[in-house]
This record gives sequence, C-alpha cells and structure tokens, in this order.
Amino acid sequence: MFQPFHEIINNVSRTILKYEKELGRPVIGVMPAYFPLELIYAAGGYPVQLWGNNLPLEKSDAYLQSYCCSVARSVLELELKGIAKMVQAYAFTSLCDTLINLREIYRRLFTKPTLALSIPITQTQTARQAYLKTVLKSVTTGLEKITGQPLTGKSLAEAADLYGSTRSLQRKLYALRRQKPGLIKNHDFYTVLKAGFFLPADAYNRMLETLLDELAALSPPQGRRPQVFISGMVFDPLENYKIFDDLKIDIVDDDLANGWRTVSKESLRVENLVEGITQYLFNPAPCCCIYNPDNDRHPYLLNRVKQSGADGILFWYIKFCEPDAFDRPQLMNRFKEAGIPAAFIDMELSMSNFEAIKTRINAFCEILAG
Amino acid sequence: MTQLASHKKMKTLMTNYYIEAKTTREKPIAWVTSGAPVEFLYAMDVLPIYPENYAAMCAAGHQSLELLEAAEAAGFSQDLCAYARTDFGVDITRGGPANGLPPPHFLLCSTNICKTVIKWYEVVARKYDVPLFIVDTPFLHDGLTRDVKDYTISQFKDLERFLAKFLNRPFDHNRFIDVLSLSRQASVYWRQILYLCKSIPAPINSLDSFIHLGPIVTLRGTQACVDYYKSLHEEVTERVRQKIGSVPEEKYRVLWDNLPVWFKMSRLGNFFEQRKCTLVVTTYANSWGGLSDFEEDRAGDIYQAIAASYLNVYINLGFEERIKYLARLIEEFSLTGFIMHSNRSCKPYSVGMYRLREEVSKLTGKPGVVIEADQNDPRAYSDAQAETRLEAFIESMRPISS
Repeated sequence: MFQPFHEIINNVSRTILKYEKELGRPVIGVMPAYFPLELIYAAGGYPVQLWGNNLPLEKSDAYLQSYCCSVARSVLELELKGIAKMVQAYAFTSLCDTLINLREIYRRLFTKPTLALSIPITQTQTARQAYLKTVLKSVTTGLEKITGQPLTGKSLAEAADLYGSTRSLQRKLYALRRQKPGLIKNHDFYTVLKAGFFLPADAYNRMLETLLDELAALSPPQGRRPQVFISGMVFDPLENYKIFDDLKIDIVDDDLANGWRTVSKESLRVENLVEGITQYLFNPAPCCCIYNPDNDRHPYLLNRVKQSGADGILFWYIKFCEPDAFDRPQLMNRFKEAGIPAAFIDMELSMSNFEAIKTRINAFCEILAG
Repeated sequence: MTQLASHKKMKTLMTNYYIEAKTTREKPIAWVTSGAPVEFLYAMDVLPIYPENYAAMCAAGHQSLELLEAAEAAGFSQDLCAYARTDFGVDITRGGPANGLPPPHFLLCSTNICKTVIKWYEVVARKYDVPLFIVDTPFLHDGLTRDVKDYTISQFKDLERFLAKFLNRPFDHNRFIDVLSLSRQASVYWRQILYLCKSIPAPINSLDSFIHLGPIVTLRGTQACVDYYKSLHEEVTERVRQKIGSVPEEKYRVLWDNLPVWFKMSRLGNFFEQRKCTLVVTTYANSWGGLSDFEEDRAGDIYQAIAASYLNVYINLGFEERIKYLARLIEEFSLTGFIMHSNRSCKPYSVGMYRLREEVSKLTGKPGVVIEADQNDPRAYSDAQAETRLEAFIESMRPISS
C-alpha cells in the first residue's frame, strides 16, 4: 500500500526528471515555507518542495556557517553538488533571517533565477494588503519570465483546485490517523507526506485517493499504545519514525511546518488574490516564523494537543532554528501548568546515529507511562 | 582604547539615562529595538529603553556569562541570539550594572535589524502582558522602492494612532518635528565624527566608536545627545588638527564588519595597537550615522525621508548593495584590509559573510579575514583561534605608504 510512496522518496531525482519530461514544465525548487505552490503551477511551473535532506554537509560549509540550520545547509548542498541540476529556479519566502540571506547567497553564486515572496507581518491591514499586492505582482511576473507562460485567472483557478485537493486528501489521512491511532505506521505516514514534495499534484492526488480507499477498510491494532504529538519545523529525518514504530508509539497528530501547518490550509481563494494569499499565509495554523497576534500559537497548540488526546508533546527541534527555539520555554511551561508532559529533542538533518534519539524517545515514553 | 575627555561625559550621560529609567514615575517606559523609529516615542515623552544596549553593557562589563546561563537554565536554547539570552537572564536575575531594566508599558520592535527581534519581543510581551507594536521593514533585496516606503509609512501613521490611544492624548506633531531635528543633528555629528577617521592617522578607532555609540542609540532625539556629540566632535577634530593618532604608529588601517566582540574590547584594543593596526571604520557604528539622516530641506514628505532612513540600514540591504558599500568604505578610508566578524548571534549580519569577503577582496584587491566569534557569549570565542587568524591577516596586508 505504501510502497509507491517509498519508491518516490527513495528515487527523488529520477521522479522529478520523469515528470519534468512528461509535463514539459520547468522545475522550480520551493524553499521553506508557505510559498503558494499554486502560483508556480498556474504560471506553468512544476513546483518541488525542498525541506532539507540528509546529505553530508561538505560544500555548503564554504558559504554557510555551522550555526545555520541543517535545512538551509542541506538544500544549498544539493545545488552545490550538482544534484539539483534539473531545478531551473528557486522560490523563497521571508521565513527567517537565514533564508532571507540564503536567497542573496544564491543570487551571488548561481545564475538560476530566484523569487522572493516577502511576507508582510504588520497589523496595519491596509498597509499589508497594499504591499502584498506589489509583492505578488513581482513574484508572478518573475514566475512568468521563468516559465514563459502567462498566469491567468483560469490557470490559477485550476491550480487552486488541484493543490486544494491535495491538502484536502492529506487532511483525510490526518483524520484517519487521529481516529485510528496505529493504523498507519509512523514511518509510512511521513513517507506519504514527503512523496508529495516531489510529485506533480495530480499524480500525487491519485496515489492519495487509492491509499485512502485501501485504508478505509482496515482496522488499527488492538489496545491503546502511548500516543504522542510532535511539534517543529520539519518531520525529517524519516529514520526517527522507525524508532517510534519499533517502540510501538503512535504519533497521533502534529504541528509541523511541512506537516499540519501546511496541510491544514484551505484551498487558495483566487477571486481576490491578495486576500486569498493573506488567508493562506496566516491561517489556520499559526507558525513560529510568522507573527500573528490574532492567532496566538501558544493557546492554539495547547488546545490541539488536548483535542488530539495525546499523552504528551515532543518538540522536534532542528538545531539553530531560532524562531522555534524562542517559543520553547514559554510553551513548555504552558504544557507543564496544564499537566501535559513535554520534552524536546535536538535534531540535525545530516545526523546518522539515531541511538541517542532512541534513548530520548524511550525516556519520554517512560514518563508518559508513569 | 583612546583616552578621550568626552568619555567621562558619556558615562555621566548614560548613567543619568539609566537612573531616570529606573526612577521615573511620570514617563511611560517602552522597550525598543535599536533600529526602531524612536522619534515617535520621544515626541510623546515616552522613555525608550534598549535591551540590546543593556545587553552590550553587560558583556562589556564581563557580566554576560552568568546572565546567559540563567536564561539557559530557564530553558532558552544556546542557539538563540546572545543579546536576547542576556536580556532574559537580566530579567530573571535582575542583573547587570543597573540591577535589571524597568518593566515596559509597551514594546516597539522594528524588523530592520533582523526578524529574530519579533520572537524576542513576543517572549517579553507574553511575560509582561503588554502591547507589542511592530514596524515591519522588509528586507531590501532590490534596493529602496516606493512600495516598501509606502508600506513603512502606513505603519508609522498607525504607530502615531497607537501611541495616541495608549497614552490617551493626541500625537504631538509639533514636538515630533523638533525631535526629528534633534535626532538628525546628533546623527550628523556622529557621522562626521566617524568620517574624521578618514584622516591618516585616524584620531580615534572603531573600538572607541563602539564605546561612544551609547548615546546615539539610546538618546537619539534629545538635546543632551546633540550636545554630547557636538562636544565629542570638537575633541576629535582637534586631534585631527594636531595629527594625534589613536595608535602611536599606524601601519595598517582596517574595517570591522558586524557587531563588536563586546567582552574582548580591551584585549583586542591592545592586540591591534601592538601590531600598529587601527580599526578605522565599522559598518555597525556607521549605521547610526544614517539612521536619522532625514533630509529636512526636501520640500517633500518628511515621512518618506524617515522611512528611507529606517529601511536603508546596512543589514537590511541586499548583498549587491553591501559589496558596493564595503568597497566604497575601503577606498574612502584608505584601508589596507578588512575584518569580518562571523557573529554567531547575528544571522542577518553574518550569513553570507564568507561570500561577501571573497567578492569584496576580489573587487578591491585588499585582503579580508573572517573570525568566528559572538557579540556577547564568551563561550563562543577563543583568544588563540581569533588572534592566530588576525595575526596572519595583518601579515598579509601591505602597510599604508608613509
């Protein structure tokens, strides 16, 4: 059932090259986070999401300090090693200081075009709308220049439908996981999500529909196992989920930038693109990287964990991610006051020794059991 | 450090500032970021407090380590900016030279220095349960454009409305114009002082400028700030007239990019002096020379000038602009090389530095070196490593022609 998804993530380059040829669309690498893939698709591009990888970090050291996160470093490593040859351009948002500067590094190092979607975070609504309008104009013009295709109302509506369907299908998968913990192995679950980073939306949607049909008939294992909620920026390294599976722990829900924070986004409303993109960027799940006092992340996260029925929350921390790290102490206190066990685990995407992680997860689950 | 008579005046000024901050009952207190448009606050008699300035003082006074450790014990990761961690430690222990900062009534944060300040100030806003006003100044990937300025100006107008509502009195536009004028005068004096270092020998060095930076950061908009820099300007001008150099014999002239290593000022001062090397110009100190450079004689909208000033901060600029700026400074200040501090606490300043060094060196023909350190955290610094690199760098430079 999950084999097709594993095939994809074990053969990423081959997958992208195959679909690049089939679609005849230029591959556009999408940096974290929240750059609307719909815009890329509507302009005739083939968006491929880059959330980091486990390449040994060798060439990127010449351009990025060791105190930059491994997401940024490993994505740069791809390009420097020539693995991302098929990527014609890169799309950035102003997610954090590292990514803002990374875009500038790309402009100095590479001839491939880069786009920057500056996310306005002022509370002055009229100012935000006016500025976002100019930002979107610049981004869409840039996209059209790369693809040579115009972005039209029709192409945007089609793209919104397609990617809206993707997220709707992914939300069904999340719902199934919540309702039937243990039905889907943790490693399989995140493999399914990851495959979606590299596939064109319609191919991915068909795979998801088939999977959901197959899962509908199945029952989860008997008995309740420890249930955990994870929160962080990225779900990688996937290897960690084998640990959860081996220890018979069910991840029942998440608050991950490349998980629920993206999956939860409703279909992009395109009648008024500025309003639609605003809605897309700021809703529904708050992100530590986007200032949004109308949707405070702290009570939101506490509520989500309570609703999930999880026994505890694990903060999945990619080292050097400052936006994530700033939130942690006050969040941990909030969970402590609510009587919900919370712990954090430091992660680097290039790690190869998972024994320490296994010990940490095990120790946390002993707390949950106690 | 150069012995300057003004140093005592500066210390008195800063001491009085912190005394007022700790004792005032009349003025509302706002915690603000170093690049925030503070003139709006002075116009309404709000007393701005700069946690960054206080954190720097803690590190310069060798008090930052215990504060950092207190923050880390409370769960703040060592990966976080050391200014923020120092500030959190100050808050927890009521530490530092003034025994902690007075609590804020509200917070004003501008993103022109980084986006990380938003997270820092969110923590503070939650802790103190006070309003947080953010002036979002987007990164200038392609220079200053009309739409970015308009975006910023809309927020300035909203800030005025916020202040009026919060303080329950109309925004004082007349006072604002006066404050802008004072701010500009101080910034112009500051810039002129820094540019006096084009002289050979340089009358003061960059470590002096880091020390004397306090008032332009914290008191910009006040008469006391103007008076102080007028006086400092006179003193430094006299040194130029008498050809008194900051170091006894100046053989090398370099630029320092990024914040200082606050806890190593004396040691680095001695190191450079012994090697006849003057730190002549810094992008960091220069930033306050342009921050309030509002062109009052323009017939146009003063808000356009303020927006431009607060957007055009060095670390808010794309790399093309930074390279041109560095090359220009190297030329104008007759430099023999440049030092870039890869500051673990400041990603906007440091990320991309390796490439910038390469390009600037190629463009100017002058050697550049990157040293790995931190502005506030002594654990992220090794004397041996830094000095070995600096030693090799100094040897690689051609001395200035006599």
